[in-house]
Amino acid sequence: MAVTAAGPIGPVGPRRPGLEAEAVLGKAYDVRLMGRLARYVVPHTRLLVAWGALMLVRTGFEIAQPLFVAYVLQHHIIGNSGRGVIEALPLDALAYIGLVIGQNLSSFFEQWLVQLAGQRTMHDLRIAIFDHVLAQRAAFFDRIPVGRLMTRMTNDIESLNEMFSQGAITIIGDVIKAVAIMVVLLASDIQLALVTFVTLPLLVVIVEYARRAMRTSFRQIRVRLAAMNGFAQEHLFGIRVVQLLGRGATAQREYNEINAGHRDAYLLQIRADAGMYALVEAIGYIAIGAVLWWASQHRLLPMAWMATVPAFAGLIPAAIGLVTRFNELIARFFEPIRDLSAKYAVMQGAMAASERIFQLLDTDELDGAVGDGDATKPDWDQPVPRKPDRSESAGPAVELAGVHFSYGAEPVLRGVDLRVPRGATIAVVGATGSGKSTVIKLLTRLYERDRGAIRIDGIDVRDIPLAALRRRVTVVSQDVILFAGTLEDNLTLGVPYTRDQIEAAVRRVGLDRALARRGAGIEAAVAERGANFSAGERQLVAFARALLRDPEILVLDEATAHVDPEAEELIERGVAELLKGRTTLVIAHRLSTIRNADLIIVLKKGQVIEQGKHDELVARGGDYAALERTFRRQTTSE
Amino acid sequence: MAGARSSLGYLKPYRRAVGAGVAMMVVTNLCALGVVSHLGQAIQAIKDSRAELMPHIVLLLIGFALATAVTRILSRVWIFNAARAAEYDLRSDLFGHLMTLSPGYYRDHPTGDVMSRLTNDVQTVRAMWGAGAVHLANAVTSFATVLTMMVLLDPVVAVLSIVPYPLIFITGQALSRRIYRTTREVQAELGGLSSRIQEDLGAIQVIKTYGLDQVRRRGFLAASQRLLDKNMAAAKVRVQLGPILNTLAPIGVAILILIGGRAVIHKEISVGYYTEFTALLARLVWPTLTLGFMLALVQRGRASWARLVELQAIRTDIPDGAGPALPASAQPAHVAVRDLTIRIGDRAIVDRVSFELEPGSITAIVGRTGSGKSTLVEALCRLIAVPPGAILLDGHDITAIPLASLRGQIGYAPQEAFLFSTTIADNVAMGYGGGTAIPAARARELERAGALAAAVDLSGEPRVNAAAVAAGLEKDLVVMPDGLATIVGERGITLSGGQRQRVALARALAAMPRLLVLDDSLSSVDAETEQLILGHLRAVMHGRTAVLISHRVAAIKDADQILVLDQGQIVERGSHEALLATGGLYSELYRTQLQTELGVTRKEAV
Repeated sequence: MAVTAAGPIGPVGPRRPGLEAEAVLGKAYDVRLMGRLARYVVPHTRLLVAWGALMLVRTGFEIAQPLFVAYVLQHHIIGNSGRGVIEALPLDALAYIGLVIGQNLSSFFEQWLVQLAGQRTMHDLRIAIFDHVLAQRAAFFDRIPVGRLMTRMTNDIESLNEMFSQGAITIIGDVIKAVAIMVVLLASDIQLALVTFVTLPLLVVIVEYARRAMRTSFRQIRVRLAAMNGFAQEHLFGIRVVQLLGRGATAQREYNEINAGHRDAYLLQIRADAGMYALVEAIGYIAIGAVLWWASQHRLLPMAWMATVPAFAGLIPAAIGLVTRFNELIARFFEPIRDLSAKYAVMQGAMAASERIFQLLDTDELDGAVGDGDATKPDWDQPVPRKPDRSESAGPAVELAGVHFSYGAEPVLRGVDLRVPRGATIAVVGATGSGKSTVIKLLTRLYERDRGAIRIDGIDVRDIPLAALRRRVTVVSQDVILFAGTLEDNLTLGVPYTRDQIEAAVRRVGLDRALARRGAGIEAAVAERGANFSAGERQLVAFARALLRDPEILVLDEATAHVDPEAEELIERGVAELLKGRTTLVIAHRLSTIRNADLIIVLKKGQVIEQGKHDELVARGGDYAALERTFRRQTTSE
Repeated sequence: MAGARSSLGYLKPYRRAVGAGVAMMVVTNLCALGVVSHLGQAIQAIKDSRAELMPHIVLLLIGFALATAVTRILSRVWIFNAARAAEYDLRSDLFGHLMTLSPGYYRDHPTGDVMSRLTNDVQTVRAMWGAGAVHLANAVTSFATVLTMMVLLDPVVAVLSIVPYPLIFITGQALSRRIYRTTREVQAELGGLSSRIQEDLGAIQVIKTYGLDQVRRRGFLAASQRLLDKNMAAAKVRVQLGPILNTLAPIGVAILILIGGRAVIHKEISVGYYTEFTALLARLVWPTLTLGFMLALVQRGRASWARLVELQAIRTDIPDGAGPALPASAQPAHVAVRDLTIRIGDRAIVDRVSFELEPGSITAIVGRTGSGKSTLVEALCRLIAVPPGAILLDGHDITAIPLASLRGQIGYAPQEAFLFSTTIADNVAMGYGGGTAIPAARARELERAGALAAAVDLSGEPRVNAAAVAAGLEKDLVVMPDGLATIVGERGITLSGGQRQRVALARALAAMPRLLVLDDSLSSVDAETEQLILGHLRAVMHGRTAVLISHRVAAIKDADQILVLDQGQIVERGSHEALLATGGLYSELYRTQLQTELGVTRKEAV
């Protein structure tokens, strides 16, 4: 984990998952990150070229204004011959407005273009993160909290986007404007320009000092903010224990301390920001003062009497025009520098965000990476597998041989052997934690087994491309998740089945009767996570959607949720319909399902302890017999 | 919260700093006028070819400029610091308030939402206080000083050249409203995209096993595209603001060229005044532009403040007991529960339950998942609201006992063990209020010096050691890098569920409580270790009243009384043998090894 040099904060530091990563610090400009970002910007080069062109036009209009104001003052208001040209003024005013409109029109399109380029880049980046995340294996999602992934795709993208609207890109424009102003100053009068530039070293010193102070400060702020939020989150999560142990007051004291550290971390930033803002403004005035003084001593006639000599009369307006031009240009030169600190903060935030985003993109635990399928591509880029030829079958439909698996250090499966012949129904029973569900996860390669072999038709699942494997094996799990949308979307899951096919499946599992009860059809709207459907209805939807897929191998994890008797009956019928003539592995919780199975396998603590037909196992009076009593009691009591 | 109607109450303690900051800002703007005025004088001096005046004028100009800088630094530092200090107070108040809310509140409200108020909303309010105050004060004083100055120079030119400003203000407001509306639309779209991401990540297993990647990707693409479109619609309005205001403001300059230029030619005003006017108009542009920005800040700040007030208004449903604290005693506790009913919504989780815990006795509570066992023991520690008079501890109504005093009598080890991210020893010592709780700043120093682990090392504490042994942690500690001084949590090592439970158990035991409550606190512990702990527990429980919830027969069969709960009611009670003999629910549960052993569990009902 990328822990920064700023280091941890102590025992009360950021320890909640997710906050650690938020403490990552970026420089305001990180060449490596910029390079990576550039890859996403390149496709929008044309927008950026247009933006650059408009920026130059806008800068031209902008610099022309002070030149024009000075020109009007010199030539029309004071007048070269000591008399103003009053009739030129209306046209001057209009021309000035014309320059202003020109500047702002191009400015509008310039900003709009940069927004468009930024938004499109962010859209691309969002998709890239989405693709990347979806291609990760299941263990990745156990480790990284959903909240953190969400932050990457929303907040972090937003802060990165600010770089386009307020950060790096506008700084490019500012720099070009500054250079252009310097060129104009030099072209106007080299001496006066050099006098102006005398203040530049001072400016550089101030900006550099402020930048360093702000970097130090931002680093502290980020670390302390993360610590403070981590502390608060930990105490909100553990509120019961905090209250039981009467630690409220202690927690408040500790929190205040971190809170104070956070507040104090801003002191430096506030000073640096205020200092830079005010001093840059003042240096602008000093530069103007210096220009005025130099101009008066070297550009003006040292003696007042010379003004009376007509030959020199034109010199005074010329000098005023020149000085005014400098005044106006210097003001425009210093303005963007004054606001540099705000941009600096934006850049720092954007760099930290992109650091986190790229860190996520670098976390590669690709799903199915162990197998022969092309692991570098996401599932949907895999070649569509040929339809398996049944005659090729070199073994049972599904076979587990000596499979071991552990979550971390905790062994879940310890040498499981299991064979499902083609067309047979095998029921797996056992206590929670016996490893039943894990078998499914290994079969579909949501997780990779540690040892042993898992084969389908005699072929190791690792040698079957993931997409193909998951097309052949359909899992109906006990937690049926429906997506927001219509019921039809949830049944077809994007495959264009005909209306007849859908309705047949709905009828076969008895979903039509359930729908009739609520007076709805397959056009019914589904709320997020299917919240507007009951557990029983969701089960039936899952059956119907499995039936539509018509899988070669069905894996059913029966739900244990409470349903009313009528729904229970529907579900029982649905299950029977689903299993009909299909190779099925069922994690069974229903007596009817278990009784009808061709073989029952009893799992305990990751091992197969009994197997056989229902009657044999009951007669044996072992673990299954005890379990069966529980099942029966449940069935009769509900 | 001080002054819930207005957030300004929080700035009150700092009103002197804010007042001084605003005063400084007035001085800054006056000094700026000095700069502008000397600029005009300098131009006039050039016009009049009076070069000898220049050093004097330029020196004063620079003097005023430096004064501007100093006063501006002071005003910004004072105001921003006051805002930060007020933010500190607000945050501290909120955190303190959050610590008082009952666990029930956190059950119903996602921590994410509470955290977002404590972080984002507080920041938004602070931005309103800091940047809002600075911009507002600056805008007001700029306009006031500049307008006064212009009127003093020449009322006619002044009035004419500020003609566009009311227009700027009106346009700015209208655009702000449109910006607000489009931004709201972007927020809504962003919310939609977020829930979509959440939906997809939550359903990742289905997506993978059904190969839905492409379908979901298409949907995500569309949602992301919609967000892009909304963003661009908002951007179109937002990027209008600057150019439009920037077009309107210079109209004043054009008017000045026309009117002021004519006045100069007619010798009604001097060239110096003309230059001053130009400079003064330029000084108005910035405050005008920031006005829109400031309005947005204030609007957002007020919305966030409303969310904070809402949070602050929530009162805990478990008020502190008003009566006297229990007298100190080493005797085991006596607990009487009289006709206790606890409802969540309209469901009675605990339904008319009465029983007594005799001093020094062990009571086991059994029942199916969702039968109300945990709620019942939570009620004993008032982790859930209980009606007055329903539970008596040593004859005292527990709702009248101060919470600290009540909970000080009880050692409670919950099933979901929560550990603080500090050392194991520290976690255990917290049971008797002996946790180190090193202040954060000190901890930072210690960590930098590499002495933190030693400082929070309570492993020498006999009380911690004894509790760790009793909780069966010995074996695990041997293999941990620093034994009891090992730091747990993200920075330290991750403990297994069983280990966490045992640390929490050790914490409860270390309290040497008069009443020990074990809520299925060995559910993730393997059978052998459990046997070991049960052996220790018998010794530990001696001289204490104990209540334990367990699914394991070994743990409960020696209890003095066993209460069998079903749907919130006590359906059977008695000793293990007596209950077996009656052949009711208990014997049923027992015969199937109390359900979990062979494990058909149902989803937790609550």
